[in-house]
Amino acid sequence: MALFAPPPMYADPTMAADKQHAFNPYSENGGSILAIAGADFTVIAGDTRQSEGYSIQTRYARKVWQLTDRCVIATNGFAADGNNFVKRIKQRLEWYEHAHQKQMSIKAIARLTQTMLYGNRFFPYFAYVILGGIDEDGTGAVYSFDPIGSYEREACRAAGAAQSLIQPFLDNQIYFRNQTPAPGAEPFVPGRLPLSTVLGLVIDSFTSATEREIAVGDGLELYVVMKKGRTTDDLVGSDNLIKNMQVQELGALGEGGSERTFLVSLPLKRD
Amino acid sequence: MGSPMEYNGGSVVAMVGKDCVAIATDLRLGQQSIGVAYNFDKVVAVNDKLYYGLPGLATDVYSLREHLRFRVNMYRMKEEREITPKTFTHLVSSSLYEKRFGPWFIEPVVAGLPQPTELDPHPKPFISTMDTIGCITTPKDFAVAGTAADKLYGAAEGLWEPDLEPDDLFETISQTLLNAVDRDCLSGWGAIVHVITQDKVVTRRLRSRMD
Amino acid sequence: MDTLVRQLSRPAVPVHGEDDEAYGNAAEWGSMGGYGNLSRTGAISGMTVPRVLDPISFLATHTDNLSTNPEAKIKLAHGTTCLAFKFRGGIIVAVDSRASAGSYIASGTVKKVIEINPYLLGTMAGGAADCQYWETYLGIRCRLYELRNKERISVAAASKILTNLVYQYKGMGLSMGTMIAGWDKTGPALFYVDSDGQRIKGNLFSVGSGSTFAYGVLDQGYSYDLSDEEAQDLGRRSIIAAGHRDGYSGNTCNLYHVRENGWEFIGNYDVSQEWYKYNEKEKKALEHAGKAGVQGGSPMAVEA
Repeated sequence: MALFAPPPMYADPTMAADKQHAFNPYSENGGSILAIAGADFTVIAGDTRQSEGYSIQTRYARKVWQLTDRCVIATNGFAADGNNFVKRIKQRLEWYEHAHQKQMSIKAIARLTQTMLYGNRFFPYFAYVILGGIDEDGTGAVYSFDPIGSYEREACRAAGAAQSLIQPFLDNQIYFRNQTPAPGAEPFVPGRLPLSTVLGLVIDSFTSATEREIAVGDGLELYVVMKKGRTTDDLVGSDNLIKNMQVQELGALGEGGSERTFLVSLPLKRD
Repeated sequence: MGSPMEYNGGSVVAMVGKDCVAIATDLRLGQQSIGVAYNFDKVVAVNDKLYYGLPGLATDVYSLREHLRFRVNMYRMKEEREITPKTFTHLVSSSLYEKRFGPWFIEPVVAGLPQPTELDPHPKPFISTMDTIGCITTPKDFAVAGTAADKLYGAAEGLWEPDLEPDDLFETISQTLLNAVDRDCLSGWGAIVHVITQDKVVTRRLRSRMD
Repeated sequence: MDTLVRQLSRPAVPVHGEDDEAYGNAAEWGSMGGYGNLSRTGAISGMTVPRVLDPISFLATHTDNLSTNPEAKIKLAHGTTCLAFKFRGGIIVAVDSRASAGSYIASGTVKKVIEINPYLLGTMAGGAADCQYWETYLGIRCRLYELRNKERISVAAASKILTNLVYQYKGMGLSMGTMIAGWDKTGPALFYVDSDGQRIKGNLFSVGSGSTFAYGVLDQGYSYDLSDEEAQDLGRRSIIAAGHRDGYSGNTCNLYHVRENGWEFIGNYDVSQEWYKYNEKEKKALEHAGKAGVQGGSPMAVEA
């Protein structure tokens, strides 16, 4: 059984096989992404620096995109692969919407992401993907992927250049790892933190990462997806809490009156 | 074989507080993926105001520790006084640089409380760290080294704040170390924390993850 | 055997244009969409392959599947201990939950037991994505078998679907070491299947970087006549031992028990907490026997 059609060649067929190593389509563009799920919201964030080696290519390149009213995607790794992957998944989501008259659920987008990534098993997208949003029950959801599509639902996940800096901090503050409640005090329940606390932790994570990781910095874009009917008071109007922070609501992509997505942006150090 | 710096695993962190310093280490001794012992203390006391940690290749930990013990004892006898943290740092540094082209596979971390003198009646708590060939850095906040260094940087950067009292410094350095080594395959397996103040040293063994 | 490999390494004539490499099939969108890259007939099509002379060495250069190639940019999750054994009461399946990339613990909550259907379990060792994807695909094939034949597939047949599947990709870099456990007409059945194309029927297996440690505990405690509780404890204890000694295994243990009416999830156990429990028990037993404990001093005690 022929599994693959023989691929067309870019390389000259007469070229010696030992010259093959010259084909390197990958590059590493730095930066970091992060997502945290709450009880009725999810925060998905990424810095905006794009670098190669010690050079900054741009101080503003997006790593986080809104896919549907209840799903946001973040990619990290090789920017070209990440951007292309987002482009293709958006196309698939549009087809789905035409066929079904509804937006795809985050659970289904997660499975689609797996099959799309695994489809490139032998020529991987160099992209670490995180999906964040609201699931069918109205709870915050985070799905994280490796570049060839293995995935898992989690409460929080950091990926990219500063993942090893951010994740231990998050383990401590989100999952309460190595913490014991004082005698008689309420037990810690992960995934129930208020939005204001989560927002603070995300911002702290990125300012910390900016201090120690040269590939992270310039700006922070933070998407907040909120459950249908949830109050927005703890986000809208909090602009003045942190210097230079801007909050902007993104319009609904599907029919209105559903989940709401906000974009929070603030500057990070540029050195 | 892989890098000698990662062969045995292990990490050390030091932090500055208000009139106190703390230094902490994990207790793992491994052979790459295999855990061999969970009583490998990488932190040594020079005296009750000065401690240092030697994360890196275990065989070099023993050799360098004995080398430094000898040099400190010689200093003590010649000078008839205790070595200061700053002088000790330079002693470690020059010991490392002696092996410039075949280095000890160790990145030392030093933490100490300098004693008040007539010239400097209110000395500041002191920490320092070096690369494998002795290039010194003396941070104002914290110093990390070992296989969990990047994780320690992230955790410390998020948890540390200036002028922590001894008890709070203990909590901060413990949480930093524990959460960092829990994300590192080659560190962990128990931990020891020393908090050094002018009147005492408090040493605690932490109940950490054993996997 | 390596027709595929030969086909791919041979300079070839272009047979399709630039744009049809993916998503060219209209059936892929709408409700007729297949499982990702599988067409509706169940045959596999449309896997993207780089257009170079030797796509296999291309993949080997750019990915780091088992920390053998640390320079590679694309690091894939790996590191594991999985075990399964048959006994009088059925089959015990126990796994850890750690995924590491280099020395970094990428996740401590991985589900390494894949619930193929209510009667079949698969375990995950090697490439996380390879196991997750192909064992999900195996679930589809098993369901199709049920619909076509009006009876459940045997574990032997199910594991053979997987073997034949991965054998098609032999030499292309798939990395899986999996155990397929289940209950069929013949009773409990356990197979080891890996990406080399090996398929072995057996009573006791352990797979992954921590497998040797697990075998140590498993072998000294194993008997076919174990009670359900004893068998579950043995499985759990073996994973705890491996999680303790192996740096690339640990975090939690997921325990499953396969019986005649299908598998049952027994529980999720924190490796470290369980280790302390066993350690305390051992220490008490030693004290009782009048011997000193392995390590003295209570944790968190002020020593100076």
